[in-house]
Amino acid sequence: MDQASLTALLQTLAQGLLTGGLYALIGTGLSLIFGVMRVINFAHGDFLAIGMFITLALFRSFNLDPYLSLLVAAPAGFALGFVIQRFVLARLGDRLGEGSMLATLGIGLIVSNTLLLTFGAQPQNINVPYATNTFQLGGVQISIPLLIAGLGTVTAIVGLNLLLYRTELGRAIRATAQNPLGAELQGVKTTQIQAIVFGLGVAFAAIAGVLLMPLLYAFPTVGENYTTKAFIVTVLGGLGNLPGAVVGGLVLGVIESLGAFYVSNNYRDAYGLVAFLLVLLLRPEGLFGRTVKRV
Amino acid sequence: MTTAAPLPAARPRALTFGNVWLSLALLAVMLAYPFVFGKALNFGVSTLIFAGLAMSWNILGGWAGQTSLGHAALLGVGAYTMTLLATPERVPAFLGGPLAPWWGTLIGMVLAVLLAAVWGGLTFRLRGSYFTLSTIAVALVIRLVAINSEWTGGAEGLFMPELPTLFGLDLFDRKVEYGLAFAFVTLTLLVTHLIRRSRLGYALQAVREDEDGARALGIDPARMKLVAFMLSAALTALGGSLYAIYLQAFEPHTLLELPISVQIALMAVIGGRTSIQGPMIGAILLATFGEVFRTVFSSANLLIYGVLILVVTLFAPNGIMGLFTRGGRRLGTAR
Repeated sequence: MDQASLTALLQTLAQGLLTGGLYALIGTGLSLIFGVMRVINFAHGDFLAIGMFITLALFRSFNLDPYLSLLVAAPAGFALGFVIQRFVLARLGDRLGEGSMLATLGIGLIVSNTLLLTFGAQPQNINVPYATNTFQLGGVQISIPLLIAGLGTVTAIVGLNLLLYRTELGRAIRATAQNPLGAELQGVKTTQIQAIVFGLGVAFAAIAGVLLMPLLYAFPTVGENYTTKAFIVTVLGGLGNLPGAVVGGLVLGVIESLGAFYVSNNYRDAYGLVAFLLVLLLRPEGLFGRTVKRV
Repeated sequence: MTTAAPLPAARPRALTFGNVWLSLALLAVMLAYPFVFGKALNFGVSTLIFAGLAMSWNILGGWAGQTSLGHAALLGVGAYTMTLLATPERVPAFLGGPLAPWWGTLIGMVLAVLLAAVWGGLTFRLRGSYFTLSTIAVALVIRLVAINSEWTGGAEGLFMPELPTLFGLDLFDRKVEYGLAFAFVTLTLLVTHLIRRSRLGYALQAVREDEDGARALGIDPARMKLVAFMLSAALTALGGSLYAIYLQAFEPHTLLELPISVQIALMAVIGGRTSIQGPMIGAILLATFGEVFRTVFSSANLLIYGVLILVVTLFAPNGIMGLFTRGGRRLGTAR
C-alpha cells in the first residue's frame, strides 16, 4: 500500500471512529432505556432533534456558543424524559412492550410536528467560525467540531459509567434493570428510578443533538435517520448492553465510512442496515453475545 | 383424570352477525359517498385505498400480532412494478413491450408475496420488537435501492404512462378510481371476514395471544405468521398499484418512507387491531382528521396522529372498536 492510499485509509478510519462515537452516544441512551424498562424508544431521534433546535434557537436569540447550549439542552432533555416516563409510559402497566412502541411513535410524531410548526420545514444551520476548522495529524485531517463531539461523547459515557457503578443511584438503577420487583422489595422506588433512566436516555439524545448542530443542518424530521442509527447501534451491540452500544456505535461509524469511501457513497446508509439485518438474523443477542456484562 | 374441564360458555353469537352487518353498512356508506360528495372524490379515493391498506396490514399486524413498520416497501413493490412494466421506455426488453396495468399489478403482487416469503422466512424466528426492527431495516434498504437505481427513476421517481382502458373505462377518471378503490376495500374486507372464521384465523389468534401455548396445540407459529404475511403483502401490493394510478406520478419519498409505514400501522391500531372493521374505521377517522389539520396547520397534519395514538394507547388499548366490543361483551354477560 502506497503512502497516499494509506493516508486515505487512516483518514476514512478517523472520520468513521469520530462519527461512530456520536452514534455510540445516541445508542447508549436508547440501550439504557431498553436495558432498564424493555422499552424500544421510537422517539429517540426526535429527542435528538430537540437538542439541535434548542441549540439553534439559543444561537439565533442570544448568539450563544452551540456548546454552551448543553447546559440547557441536557437538563431540558432529562426533564422531558422524566415527565414522559412518569405520566405516559408508566401508565401502560403490563401492556408496556407493545404499548410503549406505539406510545413512543406517537410522542415522536408530536415532537417532530411541533418542531415543524415552530421552526418550519426549511433546513437551517448556524455559522460559527470554527465550524469548518480542521486539525492535522500526520496528513490526516480531522474536523474540529467532530473532534469536540468525540470528546463530549467520551465524557458523557464515562460520566454515565461513574453514575451507574459508583453511586447509590446507580446501584438502584442496576437493581431495577435486573429485577424490578426485587428492587422494589428492597426499598428502591422503581417508578422514580425508571423516570430518571428515561430522563437520562433523552438527555443523551439531546446532548448528541447539540454536538451535531455545528456539523449539520437541522430540520424537523432530522431525527428519523438517527432513530434508525440508534436501533442499528443497539442491535449490533446487543439490546440493553451498554458497553456493546459503544462498540456498536464505533463499528457502525467505521462500516459506513469504509463503505462510502471504497464502494459507493450513495449507499452509505445501506451498509449499516445490512450489518443490522445480518446481526438481527444470525446473532439476535448482538455481536458480543453474553460475554459482555449487561447493565 | 377422565373428566374434562368444563368448556367455557360460548361467546354471544349476535356479535359475529353484527360484524357482518356492520361491514355491509360501512360498504353502503362508501357506495353512497360519491353521490353525496361528488366534488371531494380525491379525498374519497385516497381514504378508501388507505382503508384497504390498513386492513391488509391488519392481517399480519392484528390477527397475527406481528407489528410491521415496513409495509411501505410492499406498497412500493406494487406501485413500482405496475408502473415500470407499463412504461414503454422502462419495461425490460424480454417482455417485448409494456404490459397492461392489471397484468403489472398481478406481477407486483407475486413479487410482494415472494419478498414477504423470504423476509418472513428469515425474520419470524425473531419475536416481538426484533421483528419490528427488521421490517424497518428491510424497508429502508428497498428505499435506498429505489433512490439510487437509474431504472426506478431515482429520487425523482416515475410518471404514470398512458394506460389502456379497462372495459372502456379511463383509469385516470376519479370516478373509475373510486370504483376500483371500493372494490379493493371490499376484497380486503371479504378476505378478513373469511380468515376470521377459518382455521388459519383461529391459529393466528392463538399465536398472537400465546405463541408457546399455540405451539403446544400443534400450531406451527412461524408458518402461520408467514401465511399471514404473504396474504398481507399481496393485498398491500394491490393497494400500491391503485395508489400509483391515483397519484399519477410518485417518488420514493411519497411511497417508501418510514412515515408511510407508520401511518398504515397507526390507522389499524387506532381503529382496533383485534376487530375486522377497526382498521377501516381508523383509516377513515385519521384521513378526515388529517385533512382538517392539513387545512389548518398545512404540513404538520401528522400531529393529530401523534396525539390520537397517545390517547388510544393510554385509554383504549384495543382501539376505537375495542370500546364498542367491550360494551357488547358486558351486555352479553349481563343477561
